[in-house]
Amino acid sequence: MRSSAPDANLYRRDFLQLCALAAGAVAPTMAARPASAQTTPKKGGTLRVGFYLEASTMDPHLSGSKVDRQIYHNIYEPLLTLDVKLGIKPGLAESWQQVEPKILTLKLRKGVKFQDGTDFNAEVVRFNFNRMKTEPKSVRKGEVASIESVDVVDPHTVRINLRRPDAALLATLTDRAGMMVSPKVIQERGAELERNAKGAGTGPFEFVEWVKDDHLLIKRNESYWNKQGGPYLDRVRYRPIPDDTVKLQSLQAGEIDVIDYVQPRDVAGVRADKNLVELDVPSLAAFAYQLNQTRPPFNVKALRQAVAYAIDLDQIVKGVWLNVGVPANGPVPPTSWAYDKTIPPIKRDLAKAKAKLAEGGKPSGFPFTITTANIPINVQEAEVIQAQLAEVGIQAKIKLVDAATQLSDGNSKNFDMISYQWSGRPDPDGNSYQFFKTTPGTSLNWSGISNSQIDAILDKTREVSNQAERKKLYSELTRLLQEELPMIYIVHPIEPKAFSPKVQGYEPIPDGMMRFKEVWLK
Amino acid sequence: MGRLVFRRLLATIPVLVLVTAGVFALIHLTPGDPIDVMMAESVDDSVKANLRRELGLDQPIYVQYATWMRRLLRGDLGRSIRNGEPVIENVSRRIRPSLQLAALAMAVSLLLATPLGILSAARRNTSVDRVGTTFALFGICMPNFLLALLLIFCFGVKLRWLPISGYLDPLEDGWPGLRSLILPALTLGLALAAVVTRTLRSSMLEALGEDYVRTARAKGLSEWSVIRGHVLKNALIPVVTVLGLQLGTLIGGAVITEYVFALPGVGRLVVDAVFARDYPLVQGVVLLIAIGFILSNLAVDLLYGWIDPRIRYR
Amino acid sequence: MAGSIRGSGIAEPATAVARPSLRPAVRGRRWEILRQAARTRLGPLGVLVMLLAVTVALLAPVISPYDPLKQDLGHTLGRPDRAHLMGTDNVGRDVLSRMIWGTRVSLLAGFGSVALAMIAGGILGLLAGYAGGQTDGFVMRLMDAVLSFPPLVLALALGAVLGAGLGGVVIALGVVYTPTFARLMRGQVLTITTREYVEAARALGAPGWRVAWHHVLPNAAAPIVIQASLSVAFAILAEASLSFLGLGVQPPGASWGSMINAGRGYLQQAPWIVFWPGAALFVTVVGLNFVGDAVRDALDPRLRK
Repeated sequence: MRSSAPDANLYRRDFLQLCALAAGAVAPTMAARPASAQTTPKKGGTLRVGFYLEASTMDPHLSGSKVDRQIYHNIYEPLLTLDVKLGIKPGLAESWQQVEPKILTLKLRKGVKFQDGTDFNAEVVRFNFNRMKTEPKSVRKGEVASIESVDVVDPHTVRINLRRPDAALLATLTDRAGMMVSPKVIQERGAELERNAKGAGTGPFEFVEWVKDDHLLIKRNESYWNKQGGPYLDRVRYRPIPDDTVKLQSLQAGEIDVIDYVQPRDVAGVRADKNLVELDVPSLAAFAYQLNQTRPPFNVKALRQAVAYAIDLDQIVKGVWLNVGVPANGPVPPTSWAYDKTIPPIKRDLAKAKAKLAEGGKPSGFPFTITTANIPINVQEAEVIQAQLAEVGIQAKIKLVDAATQLSDGNSKNFDMISYQWSGRPDPDGNSYQFFKTTPGTSLNWSGISNSQIDAILDKTREVSNQAERKKLYSELTRLLQEELPMIYIVHPIEPKAFSPKVQGYEPIPDGMMRFKEVWLK
Repeated sequence: MGRLVFRRLLATIPVLVLVTAGVFALIHLTPGDPIDVMMAESVDDSVKANLRRELGLDQPIYVQYATWMRRLLRGDLGRSIRNGEPVIENVSRRIRPSLQLAALAMAVSLLLATPLGILSAARRNTSVDRVGTTFALFGICMPNFLLALLLIFCFGVKLRWLPISGYLDPLEDGWPGLRSLILPALTLGLALAAVVTRTLRSSMLEALGEDYVRTARAKGLSEWSVIRGHVLKNALIPVVTVLGLQLGTLIGGAVITEYVFALPGVGRLVVDAVFARDYPLVQGVVLLIAIGFILSNLAVDLLYGWIDPRIRYR
Repeated sequence: MAGSIRGSGIAEPATAVARPSLRPAVRGRRWEILRQAARTRLGPLGVLVMLLAVTVALLAPVISPYDPLKQDLGHTLGRPDRAHLMGTDNVGRDVLSRMIWGTRVSLLAGFGSVALAMIAGGILGLLAGYAGGQTDGFVMRLMDAVLSFPPLVLALALGAVLGAGLGGVVIALGVVYTPTFARLMRGQVLTITTREYVEAARALGAPGWRVAWHHVLPNAAAPIVIQASLSVAFAILAEASLSFLGLGVQPPGASWGSMINAGRGYLQQAPWIVFWPGAALFVTVVGLNFVGDAVRDALDPRLRK
């Protein structure tokens, strides 16, 4: 971590490069880009967005759901932000310096005000971190666990004292853990902040109203501190449309202007539709299956490996995901700096699978249950896997469960192989540590893996600050994971988004969050 | 009759106790709990444990039920675990779209079924009757999600005449609000129309066979004045019964329609609550739906007994 | 009403609501006979449809052209052609084969749940009708409680407790339809045991069960069979609706309903995935309705002679 200076226009070029990279796995995507650098942005209009779920809370410190984040990134701002290559950029903090491994100093931007008129300063930052650590219902506690205390050096400088070195902290501060909420709003409104976030953030838009189950409205913040490049839209209106098909049809019928995700099966149709614009956005997400190492059959490593060799990743990505995704080699997504493209995903090898079966003491196969969520694409994938495994005599049964049951089964380790979707974090630590570190009791380490080598690597990645060194560590981790197989990774999905042709200026960042500051309507 | 009503109401209390105990037991038997669902991506076990303790979820089931009952008797339905708002508020917010949808669906069904039912009975065994009966059969046998699919495809996507998702309140937004409810009302209403057509037809046939009708005909009155005069009134009674009985189903049971058309109704509320294991919300909504169902049944029975002088309770 | 789990529930709401205190109006004979005449053409048609469905279900392994589970990822969403008469689905499975095997599941859901409801409801209704008094009151309150319980919540909760498979759905639907049969049976018991010959038999010392066997059941058979045929139709539709929420037969197995739901997202690209199971569903349910109507007209004592 070093101090850095902002370079605002670099990311447009980088974005094109990134898409060229992603284009290797996906057919032409650039033809339908909504952005157009030549025409002048127009102010005005309401952007109507269709999401699959409703937000659950407007308090970023208490939020645990992915949909909330979409809205937060428009009304709140984090201390640091991401560029198109997932590098760390300044946000509300202009610059940062890692003075010693356990001390991080942030220099804050001057002249920023919250939407309620109060100032943003060092005291605010301290207040926010304290709240994250002490508020009883705070979901950010784990994310800021490495922070011991925060000192106010001067009104625009904070010093964060760490309990231990944490290389992943900067990336964590680009999301909810770094989002600053107006202390005045918190003190005056308390729990009501969860439903009413008027004036609570510093972002390009401000909260207007939330009519539960119907829509959430935000409007342009006229006193936003960075008027360069927007915001242009008058308002943004979010609507939850739980049914995927109806969501797409609403877009086709012109009732909404943006949808956050196009199902792989609809991508070809949307691309061919001249009235819609489709954009492939590589994501940080991963789709995998956790294998339960605490009980038979998957307490035997050879049997886990047998399943891995019998699964045909390429066929799944091609046949089920329709190439709207990249076969995964491990927890690190291709969009990350830590991705090692020299490590291939596990290739199907029936001979090796059979050999591993024999090694594991089940030469003619064995039965087990795949627990998976009741979503069409999960179902399809499980069916394909079932057919693939049958070719070596492994009889997989499919058990469909709803989300609550899936979480319960996973947490209580009541499964053989269970599907797991992770929305992804910008730092590879967020995609690996909690899943593979030996953890007693309930945790996200559903597989129950406890491997001292892996533990050592995971801890080291947090201590080491040099990115090149960390990348080497993650490569080692990926190789080890392919050997030990607490999880079988299938695919890093691409998140296609679809727009009405009126929408201009959208620049996607691979963290999957839709930021509308620079968007305008034709 | 007042005594009868009172007795009936008294009898509903054990029913409600049974319903609430049943749903309580059932929902607590399902695996998973609301805290896991709310904080799915969180690693913080201590926070989850704290929340569970705060909400009393760590107590044994009968203690939880007793607590809930005690609160209920004080008039407090509790708060939703997911959004912290009182259950009553959650329901009252969603009841309006559901009621409006139900009312529109009934209107649609009456609009379609009344002429069809009357004509089918008056012109029985002719092609008109055949059309009416076929339509009735069609409506009853068509799965409503399939119907919703076709309506959306036809009117929403291809023709673009009507909005296919979202809800606007007709009482607030007038015509656009009504438009947003037309497709879902058609989906529910067509099926309901089928039932009403059959009921109306058969009850009209019965009524047309009555002696006084023969007398009226013998007197030389035209078919239509006979129908309009006496038959229709009597024939409508079972229709009222059917519609009344369906009201409860329409409100709590239009889940799939609400899902497909993204309407914020009571049906979706309870299903989402079950998926999220939001125990207080499930309890509260099921109780309210049960009360609504019982009350509407009682109202229909009373109406039935009052309108038809031939029918009296023993 | 199609789509709601309970359906319009009762065979003919105006007259078959088996509340003994409500006397249905006396029908004009002439109209009834004519109605019967009009319907008998359809009754046998319905029976034919049912027989066809049952035959298909029984002979599935023999007549199915392909293995319904065999995937072919190279030939997904294939148009109907000579090799695949009804096309292929999203993982390349033959739609016709899946429909044939799906007949088993749909019929099982329909008949299974109604059988459960008939047995449970029949026993409860007999009990209530005979025992009278407090037992009657309790049983009827219990049935009211089940009726007021939202069927979807019951199905969802049972699905989560028992696992989402077909068993849970059959049990849930069985529970939902039990009150209808219980009320029907109870009504029959009350009407019949007040008839003079039954009172005479009892005065002569015939035991209750004998009276039940010889008098009540035969007379109750008619309305119960009528109700059963209609309930089976609703149950088959209900299973289709429940698969929308992920309940019912688990993949890779198929029922007509789950095929429709799986194919929903492909309506524009491959409508045959939805069309054929939808048609099968529709035809079967219509057939059941014909049978129900015909049986009612044939067995209704008021229509005899």
